[in-house]
Amino acid sequence: MSAFWAVLWKDLAIEWRSRDRFAAMTVFALLVVLVLYFAAPPSLDAAQNAHVPGLLWVAYVFAGVLGMNRAFAAELENDALSALALAPADRGFLFLGKAAASFLILITVQALAAVFFALAFSLDLWPVAPQLAAVAALGALGISCAGTLLAAIAVRTRYREVMLPLLLLPLLVPVLLGAVRATTALLTTGSLPWPPVQLLIVADAVYAIVSFLCFEYVLDE
Amino acid sequence: MSAPALRATGLAKRFGPLAALAPLDLALAPGETLAVLGPNGAGKSTLLRLLAGLARPSAGEIALGANGESRAQRRARVGLLAHATFLTPQLTARENLVFAARLYGVANPEARATELIAAHELAPFAERRAGELSRGMAQRVAIARALVHEPALLLLDEPFTGLDARAAERLAEQLAMRRGSERACVLVTHELARAAQLATRALVLVRGRARSLEPGALASADALGAAYRDAVAALEAVS
Amino acid sequence: MSDANRPGMRRWKRATAVALALLAAAWAWTVWHAPLDSVQGVIQKILYVHPPLAFAAYAGFIGTAIGGALFLARGHEHFDRFAAASAEVGVVFSTLMLLTGPIWAKGTWGKWWTWDPRLTVTLLLYLTYVAYLLLRGFTEGNERAARFAAVYGILGSALIPLNYYAIELFGSRALHPDNLQRGSLGEGMGLPFLLGVLATLAAFAFLLVRRFELGELRALHAELSARAALREEP
Repeated sequence: MSAFWAVLWKDLAIEWRSRDRFAAMTVFALLVVLVLYFAAPPSLDAAQNAHVPGLLWVAYVFAGVLGMNRAFAAELENDALSALALAPADRGFLFLGKAAASFLILITVQALAAVFFALAFSLDLWPVAPQLAAVAALGALGISCAGTLLAAIAVRTRYREVMLPLLLLPLLVPVLLGAVRATTALLTTGSLPWPPVQLLIVADAVYAIVSFLCFEYVLDE
Repeated sequence: MSAPALRATGLAKRFGPLAALAPLDLALAPGETLAVLGPNGAGKSTLLRLLAGLARPSAGEIALGANGESRAQRRARVGLLAHATFLTPQLTARENLVFAARLYGVANPEARATELIAAHELAPFAERRAGELSRGMAQRVAIARALVHEPALLLLDEPFTGLDARAAERLAEQLAMRRGSERACVLVTHELARAAQLATRALVLVRGRARSLEPGALASADALGAAYRDAVAALEAVS
Repeated sequence: MSDANRPGMRRWKRATAVALALLAAAWAWTVWHAPLDSVQGVIQKILYVHPPLAFAAYAGFIGTAIGGALFLARGHEHFDRFAAASAEVGVVFSTLMLLTGPIWAKGTWGKWWTWDPRLTVTLLLYLTYVAYLLLRGFTEGNERAARFAAVYGILGSALIPLNYYAIELFGSRALHPDNLQRGSLGEGMGLPFLLGVLATLAAFAFLLVRRFELGELRALHAELSARAALREEP
């Protein structure tokens, strides 16, 4: 267990000192929101805006993918990845440490992106902020778990930047499905329906468990 | 002789066309240093990585002391010093040592880091970020890091590469110092002089096949050179 | 190292070839003679082709997951080659499934594609397996590629139940017909359908065995070439 805290602390410390992952993800998320604003502008007729909550999740997913890539790019320096592989700790806990760090960074980016998104699309998110935060966090959990496992794989292939989104995006669809439906319901009716949240929880659990167990095999040479 | 610190039986590694390592038997007593020599691509790094627990062998077993340990349990007793330093550039040298201590479940990581800094004379740059250290300094931190959990087996993969004469001498001194201890050591190196100086036994690997050298070969660098060339010729003829 | 011509392999090849020939013949005959659907006309006969292809596609994906899991557990290269063969053959059948589906859709619903849950899920699974094959291709080092692919195959297969669970939760607006229940097939359609399923699975097995054998032969060839190259070195 100490390995979990060690890895979590290390990743957050690195992030705190250089802030490059956080900055890149935030700027990228804001740019995506901007592009989406011009590509799919909200119409004055509220009934036409059913697609808008999905756009927020586009920004979240792309920012998340960017963050995951960088999480392991850093480990390639001085072969820190092998250092992790050498540790006697249960590799599942190493996975949890990295996934937790990515999760914390991602939810911070999500919060900032949500503010910008609300401004751009003239939405009032305050009334539903706690529920929105919960949905965003559940989505971030799924992205972080699957993303950490797949980033560890992708970082050691050719074309590593392309490989991660290729591997990750199809797998994220259940998460995306639940998250977008929940967010849409939240923004249109103000209440959070249970089925999408249920899907998010189940998907997160599946990804967390499978990734925890499979990380063992990913860290080998 | 007390129980071997390291015993490998029938250790082999293969995937795809050729065997990276043909079945190999190895036994090391505590305090012994084994030099592993051979041309590039011979399988030396593969052997080291198997011993370190970084890869699963295709066949055979490795035991460090007790039998029936899992790979993770073995990793707890092995330290690896490779060409890469394993240091995180954004953390200070001290923080790197604390992190390593935590990874290995060492009790009192901060105290252990302080201990290592004193023992390896790292104080002048202990609070500097690892990314700012010169190669020699980083290597010294890396050595301390490899020893953070007091491993029973120390593996060294071409540790003298890239070190200037003074740093290399220092490393050699540290390795020689430990001969009296219980720790066993496997040293992969191209530098026959160092091998002759530091090792008590030697093994030559060519294309995955191994041949032990006579103890007399380690008497001097020249003797080792001659024995090495003979062994390589013999192994190449076989493959 | 395996001898691809050993009796076991030959027996499998012969058995699948014979099964395929017989079933395909029987199937073609029954489809030809099956009654025309009153509403959909002749296009309805894709029923005898499309769902069987789907079964074969799923069989391929499950084979990949199982092969990968066995490889991780035991480490024998044969399991990995089986997983790779299963993925490739599965992708072929998926492609055919995704091609026949829209033909049927255009004929019955009037459009080539809709984003109904089942279609979306199947398309995603297809993309996952294409990604699997790309991962195999882009990873350097045979063993690493095998291990990474195995992990991804297992994760991708977890997607199957997960996505069907998602359909359960949201599938009210589904356009695509649900699983066929007993009696939902009209008179005279049961037999050709059954034969279709069996013939397609036989075709899958036939191709799988051959693709697996190809993998084994390639490995053997690589080994022999490598040895020969060594001997020629000065």
